[in-house]
Order: sequence, then C-alpha cells, then structure tokens
Amino acid sequence: MSEKYLKEYEVGYTPRLVMEEASRCLLCHDAPCSKACPAGTDPAKFIRSVRFKNVKGAAETVRINNILGAICARVCPTERYCQQGCSRSGIDKPIDIGRIQRYVTDSEDALKMNILEVKPRNGKKVAVIGSGPAGLSVAGYLAMEGYEVKVFEKEAKAGGYLRYGIPEYRLPSSVVDKEIKRIEKLGVVIECNHPVEDVKALKKEFDAVVVAVGHSKGKVLPMFAGKRFVKTAVDFLHEAKRRKGNIKVPEHVLVIGGGDVAMDTVTTLKLLGVKQVTDVVYETFSEFKASKKELEGAQKEGVSIIDGYVPVALKGKKVVFTHRFVPAKLEVKADLIILAVGQYTEAGLLGYEVNKLQEVEKTEPGVFACGDVSKGGEKTVVYAVRSGKEVAYAVKKYLGGK
Amino acid sequence: MVKKDLSITFLGVKFPNPFCLSSSPVGNDYDMCKKAYDVGWGGIVFKTIGPKSYVINEVSPRFDTLSKEGEPFVGFKNMEQIAEHSLEENLADLKRLKKEYPDKVLIASIMGNDEETWEDLARKVTEAGADMIEMNLSCPQMTSHAMGSDVGSNPELCKKYCQAVKRGSKLPMMAKMTPNITDMVEVAKACLEGGADGIAAINTIKSICNIDLQKKIGMPIVNGKSAISGYSGKAVKPVALRFIQQLRVGIPGVEISGIGGCETWEDAAEFILVGAKTIQVTTGIMQYGYRIVEDMCNGLMHYMEEQRVDSLEELVGKANKNIIPAEELDRDYIVYPQIDEDKCVGCGRCYISCYDGAHQAMEWDEDKRRPHCNHDKCVGCLLCGHVCPVGAISQGEIVFKKTAKPGRKIKDIRL
Repeated sequence: MSEKYLKEYEVGYTPRLVMEEASRCLLCHDAPCSKACPAGTDPAKFIRSVRFKNVKGAAETVRINNILGAICARVCPTERYCQQGCSRSGIDKPIDIGRIQRYVTDSEDALKMNILEVKPRNGKKVAVIGSGPAGLSVAGYLAMEGYEVKVFEKEAKAGGYLRYGIPEYRLPSSVVDKEIKRIEKLGVVIECNHPVEDVKALKKEFDAVVVAVGHSKGKVLPMFAGKRFVKTAVDFLHEAKRRKGNIKVPEHVLVIGGGDVAMDTVTTLKLLGVKQVTDVVYETFSEFKASKKELEGAQKEGVSIIDGYVPVALKGKKVVFTHRFVPAKLEVKADLIILAVGQYTEAGLLGYEVNKLQEVEKTEPGVFACGDVSKGGEKTVVYAVRSGKEVAYAVKKYLGGK
Repeated sequence: MVKKDLSITFLGVKFPNPFCLSSSPVGNDYDMCKKAYDVGWGGIVFKTIGPKSYVINEVSPRFDTLSKEGEPFVGFKNMEQIAEHSLEENLADLKRLKKEYPDKVLIASIMGNDEETWEDLARKVTEAGADMIEMNLSCPQMTSHAMGSDVGSNPELCKKYCQAVKRGSKLPMMAKMTPNITDMVEVAKACLEGGADGIAAINTIKSICNIDLQKKIGMPIVNGKSAISGYSGKAVKPVALRFIQQLRVGIPGVEISGIGGCETWEDAAEFILVGAKTIQVTTGIMQYGYRIVEDMCNGLMHYMEEQRVDSLEELVGKANKNIIPAEELDRDYIVYPQIDEDKCVGCGRCYISCYDGAHQAMEWDEDKRRPHCNHDKCVGCLLCGHVCPVGAISQGEIVFKKTAKPGRKIKDIRL
C-alpha cells in the first residue's frame, strides 16, 4: 500500500502551462510577493523571467536567493507568505507561485545548471550541528563565502526534518538528495551518524560553531506518557519515510492536533491505506493552524476532522474530549493514537538551557543558534533558509570577514 | 551565474550591449533616458528632433491595441509624431546624458523638412555630443508630407537628405526605413549612396487596428474621427525580420539596427541571426517598462553560453544563408506527424483542423477519443502539430515522394 505514499502528489507544469500561469501575473511594481518571502526568493523577478522566456535567468534568481529553492517550491505554505499579498487576488485567485518555482527548479535540474559560486577558501573553519534546512542553509552560504564547513548529523542520512519528517508524497527523497548534493558541491562536508555532545571540544577545533539541531522531538501530553499504543507524529512520520511507507498501521487511527504536521500525519495514514482516520483538533476551523492546501488535501483523502475539542481523560484506549466552547463530550477509541501537538528541541543534550541557546552568541562568543532553536521566526523551511543566511552573515562578521 | 560580454561594435561605435531604446515616447527626455541607462539599456535613440519651424501638436487619446484571446497587446498602434520638447531642451538633454553616461551609446534621431534643416540638425546634435545619428525617414503619421514615410518611400529624396546630413556631420549615420513600401533595398541603397553608414529597420506599419462597431469610427477616436497610423509590437516582428533578411541579401555586408516587436531575448537573438547588430525597442517598454532589458541581457548571455560563443559578432547574420527563395527548397519528401498517446488529452483539435483546414487525414476514434493519422491522405503539412494544445504531435516518419529524385537518402534530410 505504499505506492500512493511514494508518488509526488502534485504534478509539475508543462512549458505551456507555466507560461499560462506566468501570464496571469500582473508583473506588479514593488511586488508584494517578493516583499513577503521570508527568504527573499524574489518571486516577482523569477516569474517575470519566465514570462519573458528566460527560464535560466529565473533559476539563477531562485537559487541565489534561496539555497533550498526546489524544496521550498514544494513545501512552503505560500498562502501565508508570497501568495498572501498577490495583487491578482483582486481579480480572481493568487498566482500559484510555488508551482512556478517548482517548474523553474525542475528546469534548473534538467538543464544541469551550476549556479552557485564559491569564493576562494579563507582558511577559517566552521562546524554546524544538524543537517536540517537551517543547517544546510547556513553551511551552504558559509561555504560560498570561502569557509571550510563541516556538518555533524546524528542520523544515518542528511536532511533532518526534510529527510525524516515531511512525507514522501509532498517532498520526494530524490529532491532532498539533489539539494544536499548541490550544497556538498560547494565544499561542505557532512558527517552522518555523528551526534555531538560536547560543543566545547568542537570549539577547540573550529573557529565557530553553529547549533542547528531543530525541534526534532514530538511533545507528549502527560496523560499519554508511556503508553504503548501512543506515538508522536514526529516518530510516526520518521518511520514512514525511513521505511518508504512499508509500515504496519491498524484500521482505525486517532490523531490529535491541527497543524501542518498533523495534516501530514493524517494524509500519510490515508495514503498508507488506513480505513478510518479521525483527527481531533483543539482549534476550531476559524482558527485553524495548518495551511489550507494541506487541510484540503487531508479532507480530499477522507479524513474525519473534528474541531474545537480538548482531550481530558484516557480510559484504556478510549480518549475523552470536551468541547472548548459548548457543553459537548466526545469519546474516541482507537488502535493507535498519534500526537501532533508540538515539538521541542533536544538541545539540552548539548548542555544548553533552551532559552539561553536562543541567543547563545551573546553569552558564548563563537557559538551561534540557527533555525528553530534561534530566537523568533516561524518553524518553517523558508524561515530556516532565512535564518541560515542571517547566521552565515553573523559568523562572517564574527570572524572578521567583509 | 552566467556572465558573458554582450558588447558589440556597430558602425564603428562600441555598444555595451545591443539593446537600445528606439526613437519614440520611451526616450522623451533626460529623466527617462537616465532611468533606462541605469536599468541596463546599452544605447538610446533619443526621440526624433525636428526643425524649429515644425510645431508638434498631438491628439488625445493617441494609442490603440490589437488583442487576441488572453493577450491584450499583440499589436500596438500609435499616433505620436516626434519630440514635443523644444530644440534647445532636447540638445541640452543630449549633452547632459552624454556627459553622465560616457560609456553608453547616445544616438540622436533627427528629421528635417528640407536639405537645409537636415544639415543644420545634424550639425547641432553633433555639437551636443551624440555618438551617432539616425535619420527618421519613416514616421507614418506626420502632419506634413515633406516629412516621414512619404519621404522614406522616395529613393532620390532620401539620397539627397542623406548627403545633406553628411555635410552637417561626420558622425556615423543610419537611415531608418519605412516598411510601407514594396522594395526596401532600393531605398536603402539610395541612402547608402547618399552617405548613410548603415540602416535601421523597420519603422511602424500604416494601420487601422480596430473599428468601434457602434460609433463606426476607427480607434482611437479623436472627436468622432480617426486616422491611419503606425502599428508595432510583437505582431510586426515577422515583417521586420523579412525586411532585414532582404536587406542583407540585397546589400551584402550592410550593417543594420533591427527594430520591430522585440520583447524577449529570443526575439533579440532572431534579429541578430538575420543580421541586426543592435536591437531597438519601444512597444515592449511601453507595456512592461525598461526592466524587460534585464531578462533580454541575461537570456542572451545564456544563449551565447549554449552556443559556445564569446562574442555576439559571431552570431550576426548566421541565419541569412539558410533563408532561400521558395523555388530552391527541397520538395522531394513528406514528414508525417507523430502522435504521443500519453501526452494526448483527447480534445480533437487536430482532427477538426485537419478536416476543415487541411486534407482530412486525421481520423478520430470516438470511443477512445484519440486521433490517428491516415498516411494515404496526409500531405505532411503538420497543421495538427501547431493546433495541439499539449504538444503531443511532433515530426515523425520521413517518406520520399514518388516524384523524388532517385537515390535520395533519409539520413541526409535535416528537419
């Protein structure tokens, strides 16, 4: 039952269709889409290049501004960023920017373009802990600036949440492989199966250390702690991806949570052939956290989504929920319960308090926090790319680069 | 990131890239030209400067567009004449632009109404610091018959005025041709005999874009009336390329600045391949702004890289020898369409067009909703491929006709 899970859900544009979509673009002055991209991918410019038959130029714009351009094209919640301000919405619906970006990066790949350039080595060494989107981004940008960069990854393969979190149907592993290869080509060395426990030891060997370990652990609500039939969404998605969808799942699964991770979980379950997937969500639909696209995808697959309920008790395998606003009670019994109620960082293993880690560069010169573990920003890939750029700049400044 | 040298030498003047504003509303004053240079245009043909005695008085409104399906701007009609500012203002702008942008190319477009004014304008723009002169012999909407395309279709008058300009200035000079003529070569030759160093082609085509069906007046309507005037934009590109090809064949080695519907780097590359060394643009800028030069430059660099050339000169006129008289084409074979069943979406457009517009060779399977080509009827016109919306029809099997010369081999055919 894994074929549906393994096949990329959305089909790419043909040359003719991308031109149709690019022609819908109003080619705005001071374009709102470009202002809204956290990573500065500049969609207005690359869409204009597509419109004027310059796909190679479009690829240069995407890649130079966004080192994970092909991944963002697929997973970015564009409705919250670039597409939110799209002027075309005043006529009908926003331009499908993600899909145009995918066409552009697919073309970049098909044309075997080599866009990113590396400055000569400057003799300085930087260690990056974690090879998720933030780690890859900061490593890539530093390598381009001439630093010798080594990335330490605890898992068997690089990519972090890109590799082991976002499901295959939304982000094929082949795309992650290519993006990582692109970064390795810049001279970045990634050491897998290499967990780091001692930052101080690394500091002796490297001129700077970037901590980009992410929020890789799923939270467990106290009432579910230690139960055999309860998993976190992070663990479930990790297993599904690692085993290419070849996992055993029962006939009825209850999922608790309503963010993008929850939507990935419920849709994965359906694509793996689970008959009844029930998702109970704390938020009501009017305050829903997941992107509309992912919510619609889940609904299309036939997931039962019940909004506005809080879990209050566990009786055997039965969860009791009450509604947040109306006097209502809900009881759901399931063979497997998956919790998608948030994530946290394991940075504690590195000997840091989470709050201190956020701005570690202030207390421990030469150590920098990047991505989810840094201060501010949303927990999305596009913010990780942005954080990677910012931290690369900060490291360069710290090491006296111009 | 691609980086190629786009510079090219045209009439002895080095352009940083081949892209220029054509003499028109887009290069009307100092501020506009400054912005265009800053965005990346290599040269500017400043809006045509006329004699002091000629007073410009424009109509309102003055534009119209031809649209087709989703495209609002296939062709563009305009009624503007030449520069509206005073001669002194224009000369001051030229002087300031040249001073501030010494590495960019500044071309003065001029239009006199007799030998004396042509000579005088040539002298004045030379003193103002222009790098080159373009003679506007071709504006189709002048309010004087002693100016514009009425002059440009008269070879003797053209030659006389070219001589006058050469008396007034030693600068390199190109004569801008009207396409409202049967044989451009004759006029171009007369201009070169008169001293022109090169040719600019084409100016706009005399046109009526649309008629208002209720009011029964051509567009745009000026107090209940309209007039024939110049047509430009993407729709005129084929006409421009044809004239440039004919000039290159009729006058071997002639240096040309190409004009007419250039919007993308692909259009520009086509102009270069038929023999243009620089390309002038107006309509694309009026619709999209100066910024279109960014993708023209970048796209052209990528094309140079693909073609493995380091200089644009290597591409100039490369298509000329491959465009030959119709009677010399190989008429010995047929190429049958090849249908990709996986790409086909079953719309039946190929079937309709083949039946109604060609030779009823495309057959239609009603149950499967798929076309099939009957080779007994197919003449290989490939109309089907042009109408297919998903690109499912390509050139397939090649077959020699019964009338073909004996001993011909399919491997020798270049599609």
